[in-house]
Amino acid sequence: MQRESSAGYITRAPRSSGLADVLEILLDRGLVLDAYVRVSLVGIELLTIDLRVVIASVDTYLRFAEAVNRLDLRQVDDSKSVPDLFEKGGEEMAETKTKGAVEGGMDAIKEKIGLGGGKDDDDDEEEGSRSRSRGRSNDR
Amino acid sequence: MTRLYLYGITHPREVPQRLRDQGVFLVEDDGRAAIVSELDEGPVEATRRNLLAHADVVEQLHEDGVVLPARFGYVLESRDEALELLGLPEVDELLERHEQTCELTLRGKYEESVLGEVGAGLQPLRDAYRAQPSVEIGIALGEAVGEALADRRARDEAFVLGALRPLLLDLVPGNPAGEFAAFDLALLVERNAVKTVEAKLEELAARLSPPLHFKLVGPLPPYSFVRLALPAVA
Repeated sequence: MQRESSAGYITRAPRSSGLADVLEILLDRGLVLDAYVRVSLVGIELLTIDLRVVIASVDTYLRFAEAVNRLDLRQVDDSKSVPDLFEKGGEEMAETKTKGAVEGGMDAIKEKIGLGGGKDDDDDEEEGSRSRSRGRSNDR
Repeated sequence: MTRLYLYGITHPREVPQRLRDQGVFLVEDDGRAAIVSELDEGPVEATRRNLLAHADVVEQLHEDGVVLPARFGYVLESRDEALELLGLPEVDELLERHEQTCELTLRGKYEESVLGEVGAGLQPLRDAYRAQPSVEIGIALGEAVGEALADRRARDEAFVLGALRPLLLDLVPGNPAGEFAAFDLALLVERNAVKTVEAKLEELAARLSPPLHFKLVGPLPPYSFVRLALPAVA
């Protein structure tokens, strides 16, 4: 349903293909008429809370700082002033940390909106296998 | 009495077999039709499956004609209530206004390398953090990067909108979600202008990517452009 173009920088989808595409437009927009509407929903509060990742957090700032630092290290990769081993180690550590934090955030959000539960089990296989393999690879 | 779940409003026409099989049918009244299905007692659950099913119905029907999509969770207590809704003059106006329109959602997202670009002017802080990676300096650097990223976001959004503006009938800016989100725009365009928007986007990508990635979804029914501006009746 989706295709990539312009060297992969444009993702094109003719129809809504996932929850991220429809969530805001279906819950906040669409035809509604105060005098007639019967809002009779379960789960809406959970869906709308915390979907917007707050940017002004210490956690975010520290990840930004680490990322900038890491990108900086890559740019001066040829410099001989820092021993190779040290640089490699720092880079790997920063990467692992950042990844963990981001995925942890997504998991938290998914739990909040009930996507991890058994009700919508058709969408969750990917999640499960990812967290299992993550557990194994960290084993050292 | 049967409660009806409302997907949206359209003109009377044939409902595709696939949707009929899911219980979707029309309640018609003089050139207007409510797209509905019967609903059991109890509230509508806002599950992923239900949300996507709603989107599927309105988007499928929008492929061959105007659909005014209802907000998710709109329940009519009876067939009469559907007819009452269809009788509103505003419904006619909206059907006419959107006869040839569609919505495109355009989201922009940065890849991580944008931090290297916006952080280029922050060399003293970067050096300080590298020399002494403490939490304090890290927060100061991260805050400065966050501010520079916000500036970049505003600049890129203005540039994108400037380029697309001549093609737009209307626009609703949304709230971009996520640290690397750049913008989240609902665009109302003529159905026959979609190809032009796509071509324009290729030009924008040539200029702004990387680090900016675009996602364009549509042609969708005009989700963001069907507000009924009626006073609420107590």
